[in-house]
Amino acid sequence: MPATTHMRAKSGLTLLVTAGLLVLAAIAFLAINVDEEITQLGSARSDNVQWSLSQAEVEFLEYARQLDNPTDVVQLTRRFDIFYSRVSTIETAEVFAKLRAHNDAEERIAEIRTFLNESARIIDAGEETILTQSQALKDLASDVRPVIRLLAKSGLEVFSRSSDQQRAEVAQTLTQLAVTLAALIGALFIGVLYLNRLNATLAGRERAQAQTATRMNTVISTSLDAVIVSDERGRILEFNPAAEATFGHHCEDVIGRDIGEIIVPDHLRDAHEAGMERMRRSGERHVVGKGRVQLEGKRASGQTFPVELALQSAKTDDGEIFIAFLRDISKRVENEKALVEARDRALAGEKLKTDFLATMSHEIRTPLNGLLGNLTLLRDTRLSKEQDRYLGYMESSGRLLMSHISDVLDITRYDAGKLDTRSEPVHLSALLEDIIDNQSGMAVENETTLDWGWDGEPMHWIVSDHDRLQHVMMNLVGNAVKFTRRGKVSVTARVDAIDGQNQLRLDVADTGVGIDEDLVDQVFDDFVVGETARNREVGGTGLGLGIAKRFVHALRGTISVQSTPGAGSTFTVTLPVQAATPPALSASVPDLVGTPQALRVLLVEDNEMNRIVARAMIEADGHTVVEAHHGREGAELAESQPFDLIFMDINMPVMDGREATRHIRAQTGPCRNTPIVALTANALASDQTALLEDGMNSILTKPLSRDALRRVLAEYGTEALEEADPMLVNLDHSAETRQTVGEAAFAKLVARFTQEVDDLLAWLGSSEPHDYLEVAARSHKVAGSAAIFGALQLQTTLKELENATRSGDTSAFEHSLRKLPAVWSETKPRLL
Amino acid sequence: MMNRLATTVMGLAFAMLGAITAQAEEIAAPTGAPILTVTGDIDTTNVDDTLVLDVDRFAALGTVTVETSTIWTDGVNSFEGVPLATLVDLVGADSGRLLASAINDYTVEIPVSDAVEGGPILAYRFNGEEMSVRDKGPLWIIYPYDQSADYRTEVTYSRSIWQLDRIEVVR
Repeated sequence: MPATTHMRAKSGLTLLVTAGLLVLAAIAFLAINVDEEITQLGSARSDNVQWSLSQAEVEFLEYARQLDNPTDVVQLTRRFDIFYSRVSTIETAEVFAKLRAHNDAEERIAEIRTFLNESARIIDAGEETILTQSQALKDLASDVRPVIRLLAKSGLEVFSRSSDQQRAEVAQTLTQLAVTLAALIGALFIGVLYLNRLNATLAGRERAQAQTATRMNTVISTSLDAVIVSDERGRILEFNPAAEATFGHHCEDVIGRDIGEIIVPDHLRDAHEAGMERMRRSGERHVVGKGRVQLEGKRASGQTFPVELALQSAKTDDGEIFIAFLRDISKRVENEKALVEARDRALAGEKLKTDFLATMSHEIRTPLNGLLGNLTLLRDTRLSKEQDRYLGYMESSGRLLMSHISDVLDITRYDAGKLDTRSEPVHLSALLEDIIDNQSGMAVENETTLDWGWDGEPMHWIVSDHDRLQHVMMNLVGNAVKFTRRGKVSVTARVDAIDGQNQLRLDVADTGVGIDEDLVDQVFDDFVVGETARNREVGGTGLGLGIAKRFVHALRGTISVQSTPGAGSTFTVTLPVQAATPPALSASVPDLVGTPQALRVLLVEDNEMNRIVARAMIEADGHTVVEAHHGREGAELAESQPFDLIFMDINMPVMDGREATRHIRAQTGPCRNTPIVALTANALASDQTALLEDGMNSILTKPLSRDALRRVLAEYGTEALEEADPMLVNLDHSAETRQTVGEAAFAKLVARFTQEVDDLLAWLGSSEPHDYLEVAARSHKVAGSAAIFGALQLQTTLKELENATRSGDTSAFEHSLRKLPAVWSETKPRLL
Repeated sequence: MMNRLATTVMGLAFAMLGAITAQAEEIAAPTGAPILTVTGDIDTTNVDDTLVLDVDRFAALGTVTVETSTIWTDGVNSFEGVPLATLVDLVGADSGRLLASAINDYTVEIPVSDAVEGGPILAYRFNGEEMSVRDKGPLWIIYPYDQSADYRTEVTYSRSIWQLDRIEVVR
């Protein structure tokens, strides 16, 4: 904008000057013209011409008069000569050029010349001739007289016209001069107006600039940030009061000095110089106009401190300038540092806590496993009634403790992001049925009815994580039963299609005490327990719902509660689900077939208690055990001796179970192809996959249960055997059981088993309607018992029955049902 | 141009020389036909109380040549004659006027102040030839018109009398 005005003013001025010069040139030209005209007038080159002409006529008349007295020859000659000279003048003089140019005049002059020449011949001939020929002279003179008159007249005409023309020319030139002068005056007037306006504009702009400058100065001087202005060579032009305060320099001391020398710390000086140089040379900018940058500054004392810098550049008439806004951020940086440290400390503390919790839980669990294992072994010995009761207390206390520790471990695992879930086919109806069965005893105690059912179309098989889901539902149902007396607990399952996605909704509704309003929002938090007497009465760690919530979230579901104190609560779990294909039914049940041969087993386990328990359980089934205390020992043993089966703990000193397994699989020893079973407390799906990849054949989760152990032993022990028709009763096995538990206990067990089977048959044979699930569950239970007594055919038949009911195969069900009484009647007498 | 100027300057020198010699000697009465008769209040006389000059005596006063154009002639021409200043000095007329008359009795008045060095001359030769009456002789007062615009005025032209034969000095 100023630049444009400036330009405009400049071009306007140029125009004005040009116009003025043109007008002046015109005036000069006209003035010269006028001068010439005046000179012409003044030099009067023609004014006496008319007089000369008339004078010629006079001279002619004088001559003519003298002819009347021709005797005075001298006088006559003189008169003639005078006239002659007049005519000569007219003929040659420049002033008569115009006259001569006149056609008539030219002719007349020629006639006069003829007259002169003819007369001169006579006059020049001498006195005598003049006297004798005077009459001739007279005739000649009278002939030419009118010609001379006419010439005078022509002259008058020519010269008056010429002077008229000259006057007109003068008048015209003067008019032009006047017009040009008027134009000049006009131009001058416009010029004056224009200059006036220009002046006013400039004055206004100057005022505005002065105001802006004042304002800027005020802004800069009152700015809380340090403001330093430098030229492109880095020399300081301005240094505001905030800069003085920040850097400890006086403004007058630093003006004109190099900015790098004043505020850049020594160790950054080279980089600063390089940056300035680069910018000067290539115009490349790294900091200018790039917003806020954090750098280090230097005080007058030499102390360096963190600053925040914003750098901008501006073009001025004196070249480019740089404006730096600097803020001392030492305080802020300090605070940030303190904050970061505090946070790091807190995080480290939190982590330490979690680690401690996980380690402690793990460390507690290992000896507890040993304790529980030994209790199991203790139960197999001969006990007094009292001892048996105490043992029961110890077992239940131990299991409770184990469940608490598992809870804590689950929480830490989830919070550490290590909680995996499996996707497997789960029979939801069976799962709920089991839970209801499990809790029905407690419900009866509380005089509460407990039931469950589907709302709408049932979806028996779903893809989910059986153990997690069971844990959640067990917790919810258990809570409901615990807090409900003389009421009703009902579990409802339903599947809704929402946005093309099946959503499972599980409601656990009770008519119990309900939850206080102020607690509703917290029930899913950790360690929340009610304050009421009832709460204290039922006890608990306060972790149950916290874990339930974590599991539900891990399954990508939600959990919520609605409650009215005194009227009851409803817990709702929703999960996205897919229908699962039921797993293929296995027709035969070789799993539980007793092993006919004793196995040679290598047990690799670092924990002594675990070794003792496992060894006792394995040896109880007639196998031999060789122990190894860590992975390397195990691998070495496996290299030197053959084994039928290897149990391998995972976490061990010296060499862990995974590495030992890889060694065994890689070596050429006798155990290269021996089945290896992992013993682990870590049941994560992803970990299990890794174990199988290492070369392990299967996985047993700790704490070890006798059943699981036995199943594994049976599986690998019979591997080589042909699959035979199930024997009616394996007496060997039955004998082993008898030997293990003792004769008296065995008899009691047989009696109980017999009763069990009779009851089942009676129930199945009754006319009341049978729930298939219940049939499956009871068949399963009795089949398990049958295995203990080696009643293989009975077990197989029951298993078929169970499978048939679970798959809904009516014909297979009826077939098994018809077969069952016959099998039982054959088996029953052989049991003892 | 240079040539003309040089000639003029040379003529002036001759004029001064002539003036000095004129004063030194008496002028004898004319022997040939007189071409100029000076009358009136004059210091130098040779016939009664007039000064009469024939061509020789006139030329003896010292002549100069002026090259100039005139409004009565064609182009630049050479005029030779005695400077008016020489004559004025000769007759001792340091002020007043001169009444110059032609043979046809036509008279003009010329102030003595016109008679300056480098000013008008009494020309008797036109391009080297003595002038007859038909050629505006015997004498023609010529101003150096080309030399100055001051000489190209109506007044000067009117004073440029030709066929001059008498001058009367009036103080």
